[in-house]
This record gives sequence, structure tokens and C-alpha cells, in this order.
Amino acid sequence: MSTSQFEATIATSISVVRRERELRGRYLEQIEGEGSPRQIPLERPQLVIGRGEADVPLTSLRASRQHAILTLKGMDFTIRDNESHNGIFLNGVKIHSAILRDGDVLQVADCAFIFREG
Amino acid sequence: MTMPAFVKFWGTRGSIPTPSSWTRVYGGNTSCVEVRFDDTMFICDAGSGIRELGKDIITRQPRPTELHLLITHTHWDHIQGFPFFTPAYVPQMQIHLYGESKDTNRPYELLSGQMSSEYFPVSFSQLGAKIISSHFNDSQATIGGVNVRRFPLNHPGGCSGYLFEKGGRKIVYATDNEIVPQPGDVFPDPDDEGPLRQVPKTLVEVTQGADLLIADAQYDDREYASKKGWGHSSSFSVTDWAVQAGVKNLAIFHHDPEITDKDVDLKIQSCIKRAGRLNGQLTIFAAREGVELKF
Repeated sequence: MSTSQFEATIATSISVVRRERELRGRYLEQIEGEGSPRQIPLERPQLVIGRGEADVPLTSLRASRQHAILTLKGMDFTIRDNESHNGIFLNGVKIHSAILRDGDVLQVADCAFIFREG
Repeated sequence: MTMPAFVKFWGTRGSIPTPSSWTRVYGGNTSCVEVRFDDTMFICDAGSGIRELGKDIITRQPRPTELHLLITHTHWDHIQGFPFFTPAYVPQMQIHLYGESKDTNRPYELLSGQMSSEYFPVSFSQLGAKIISSHFNDSQATIGGVNVRRFPLNHPGGCSGYLFEKGGRKIVYATDNEIVPQPGDVFPDPDDEGPLRQVPKTLVEVTQGADLLIADAQYDDREYASKKGWGHSSSFSVTDWAVQAGVKNLAIFHHDPEITDKDVDLKIQSCIKRAGRLNGQLTIFAAREGVELKF
């Protein structure tokens, strides 16, 4: 076996261990309701959507004060209805909770958001 | 005060687990649905989705200690997750596994059989939980105040659907069921022009007015045409069933392993259009892993 067969293997100090991708920038894109259009970065492991002093503040009277909660679990954001009066809708379906995926349309009170993953 | 019922999808795929970028939205795990009334927790099927459910149960506060496992039938995609169900290894846990009768419990036999040493390193007898062979009386049982009714479905080898009722709420789990188009039905119906198809009266009766019907609609008409007798339905036939029964919400379930999230979306759109044309007053959506509904 000649050494030339190994010439393609170049000694290097570069680590070949797979590198986990950093969490992509995820955000809510508000497309309907007061305050739209706007982008809301999801930069914390838990955010409250609601009327008044919430992380994602809404002005609609149809929104409860702590209407829904977004929580980062592992690599996924989950949304949960926080016993709101008018509920939350995912792609037009009333839900209690769900793992969000890119492109999901979320309705909270009079507002609609698109969940975006990077 | 009536407590709400919760339904959560842990596995929605049919036939075989399908992890892929193109199944990321609706999920790739096989059948497993949690139905919860107050503190009474039912698990419908033990497909691969039951693994994540098991991990979740272990973290709940308070942690449930009594589970009711209802298997529709023992085809692989409905039992394959059980050996990976963490609560089955927890000594304080009681798992009721329901069979056909006092003397026959095929799910118990098959779930234990798939844990023989030829298939799996841990035997059924080594499980820490107390696995209790339970049964229905004349297809009825009252469990934790919930009336549960078992009813037959059309699937090779036999299959059962389950109706859960309590406090005026009605949830139906009916997967792996073939609605066979009858003479006079417009099938296939590529342009969606035909009238309501004929659906077995027994199915319409048991699901009448249900808050939620979770139903197998693995195929569309085109796919079903080449898979008659395989025990799964066309989505149009299932839509017609839900319209005739006046159900409020229809969850299309048991997604074919070959179809993508986009295909599922298109199927749902076609079902919504058909239901609207046939004056159905219901919400139709695709069952999706990780989604929880409240009734």
C-alpha cells in the first residue's frame, strides 16, 4: 500500500465533533390587532401574553391579564392557555396547549401572531 | 362544579414511526392519546408516542399513580411503545390494562409477549408497576365516574373504538377503521361533488353529538382506492361520518407514514371544504403531537 493513498487525509487541529446549532432567533410576528405589525423576540424561557403589564402586552379588552404563557421546554416553545376568558386558537382551532412550529398562526383575543423560527 | 376534560395527542402517525423534517409539525410517533377527566387518566393505545407521555407523567405534580390503558387492537403501531413507558417501571404505579373479557385479555398477552427475551431485554414480569388485567362488562365500564363504552371497528383482525362520557362531555377515539364506500356513493370523488356517503348506523349512533371525534382517515380518496381492505378510511368518508353524527370537532388521525405535513394540511383543507358544502357545523383539524384540547 503506497502512502499516496492517504494524501487526501490532511492532519489538522480542527475539531470534527458535531456542533449543536445555537437556538435560532425565534419571534412572534403580530399580523392583526392593535400594535401590529410588530415583531416580538422570544428571548426568555417564559413569557406572558396578556392585557396590561405582560411580556407581550395587549390592549384588547378581550384579552385576560395573563392570557397565555409561552414556555421554552428543551428546544421547543410551548403555549398554554392560562385559564383565559376567551381562549387561544392555533391555526383556527381552540386549544389548551401546544408545541409551536414555524408558521403557526396564534390568535389571542383580537390579535393574531405568526410563530417564526429563525 | 363540572371539571373539564382534557385530550392530548402524543402520537398521531399510523403504521410506523416516521421521524423526519417533513413530519415535524404533526409528528412521527405512532398512536397514543391521553384522555383525562378530573383525576382519571386514560391512555388510548401504546404506540411510540407513549414514551414521551411516560416521561411527562413522571414529572407531573402530583404524579398520577393509577392509569387506565385501552388498546384498540394489538397491531405493532399500537403496542410498540409500551416497553419504553417509564411509569411501567415505577413500583408505586398501577396500570389497568383492559381486555375483551374476564377470561380473555389479548392486549395483556401481546404486550407481555413483545417483552419476551427474543424481542426485548427486560421481561414483563420485571416491570415495577402493578399491571392489572381488567375488562369491560358487555362493552361497558364505569371508571372513575367516567362511562366508557367499547364498540367494534372495521379493521383486519378486529379493533375497538372507545367512547368516554362524563358530565355531558363526550369524547370518541376511533382509529384503525375502514368505512367502505357503498353502492350509490360517489367514490372516488376527486372534484368533491357527491352527496354524503353512507356510514354504518352504529358509528353514527355512538358518536352522535360528540364534542370530539378522533378518527382514522389515513388516506384520501385516491390513496384509498388502491388500499381497500387495509382497514383505514378515506378522509372524505370520515368527514361525512362526522357531519351525519353532528360531532362538534373532528380530529383527523393516524396519518399515513408517507405523507408530509404539507400533505396533511391539504387534506384538512379539502375536508373543511367538503364539510362546508354538505352543511356540516363542525371544526376539522389534524391531530398533532403535543397539542392538548380542553372540553
